Amino acid sequence: MDWLLAHFSTLPLLGGLPYSAQAGLAMGVYGAVVLVIVALAVMVFSLAERKVAGFMQSRYGPMYVGGWHGILQPLADGIKFLLKEDIAPAAADKLLWRAAPIAVFTGAFMGYAVIPWGPSFVGAKLDMGLFYAFATSSLVVMGIIMAGWGSNNKWSLYGAMRGAAQVISYEIPLGLAVLPVIMGAGTLNMGSIVQRQAGFLWNWNVFNPLFAISFVLYFVSAMAEVNRIPFDLPESESELVAGYHTEYTGMKFAFMMLGEYADMFLVATIATAVFLGGWWTGIPRVDHFVPAPVIFTVKAVALVFIMMWLRWTLPRLRVDQLMHLCWKIFIPIALGNLLLYGLIRSVI
Amino acid sequence: MQHVHEIFDTVRSVMKGMRITFKYLGKRPVTQQYPQERWALPDRYRGFVHNDVPRCTACLLCAKVCPVDCIYIVTEGKGKDRLMTRFAIDYNKCIWCSLCTEPCPTNCITMSHDYDHALYFREKLVYEFVDEPVVPYREPKKGKAAEGEEA
Repeated sequence: MDWLLAHFSTLPLLGGLPYSAQAGLAMGVYGAVVLVIVALAVMVFSLAERKVAGFMQSRYGPMYVGGWHGILQPLADGIKFLLKEDIAPAAADKLLWRAAPIAVFTGAFMGYAVIPWGPSFVGAKLDMGLFYAFATSSLVVMGIIMAGWGSNNKWSLYGAMRGAAQVISYEIPLGLAVLPVIMGAGTLNMGSIVQRQAGFLWNWNVFNPLFAISFVLYFVSAMAEVNRIPFDLPESESELVAGYHTEYTGMKFAFMMLGEYADMFLVATIATAVFLGGWWTGIPRVDHFVPAPVIFTVKAVALVFIMMWLRWTLPRLRVDQLMHLCWKIFIPIALGNLLLYGLIRSVI
Repeated sequence: MQHVHEIFDTVRSVMKGMRITFKYLGKRPVTQQYPQERWALPDRYRGFVHNDVPRCTACLLCAKVCPVDCIYIVTEGKGKDRLMTRFAIDYNKCIWCSLCTEPCPTNCITMSHDYDHALYFREKLVYEFVDEPVVPYREPKKGKAAEGEEA
């Protein structure tokens, strides 16, 4: 965002404005750009999800809209969401019910402020960047609980309760998994964490054996955090109809989905920045030729693809299995990993 | 120890599953894009019964042989003035036995290769083949064929 601000101060009309106004304007522009990018990414993912699902099951997926292999399917979906009747349950808690999709999407979108797409393409170079991203992405669970409670529906409430239990449980291994990396980097600033991984491929955090364990823990916990299959208990369609968004139709449902996919992309971008070397290609000579945001996006999209791949491979976990995985496997491993890394750091 | 063993077992089985799904990702889908692509049907496939009216002699043999009486033929007049006013097949009743095609002297009633006739009303499944009364087909007599054509 800095270069945007610097550019504003040189413009004839905007240069005269006070700094705070310029900064506000720059924030607004950056936010709008990221919002558009995220919305487009969600559209692409919604089609990619169905295509990946199709090919993994020896079928085609959407084929008709847009002429060539259903390329405009997301657009058709969007138009359909807009045209659907907006039905509200008679006994719903109207305020919570209406606020929930906004909360889900806002929680997911807020995290993008600190994602370092490139050395200068960052919304806010917060020194607490990673902490901020984790804090805001856990706001999504508030939206889920609001949706479940506000719908006044037993399935929604079950889904919301499961969601709350799951997301709050998996916050712990999620945080513990990145702690060794933070200890190594000595900072929570995401740009600085990426900068430390410059140079050759083996400088990436994921190629450090202990950080590799962290990466796996982080990735699986993040999938639980964003309610992806195999951890989609809050919306398990075979048990709870659609879980916390059972009662949502039309644009409200679209916002729920948008928030979900945006959250998925967010955890992928955080993993890219923290573990996969952010905008570095791994070969110093190539770094000058490829724009940083492109490399970053490619890595994040690859992680999203792995999430889709896992979705169409694994069956859903049971609630007790989910809790077993979190409390009896992930947390001990994460703590052991942290302890081991601390010992190594203090010895060397 | 059991615990650790289970963790490794889980990781291995997840990897195995992912390998299988990835293998399918690269394979060609087996889906047939139905309305555009269709199966090549065998020659003797029994689709909807079809009557080629211009060749029909209205001999009623098919109606008589039909075990479920689903072919309705109505004719008027006699001799040279004989007209066929109705030839209908009720596909609600038809059992696709192909018996009607056997006695047909001109092979005008056949089993077609059509099979996708979805309709909203049962009544629509009675197919009418004759809109206006037609003169039934008559086999040209030997030796008089050329003369008949001139007339």
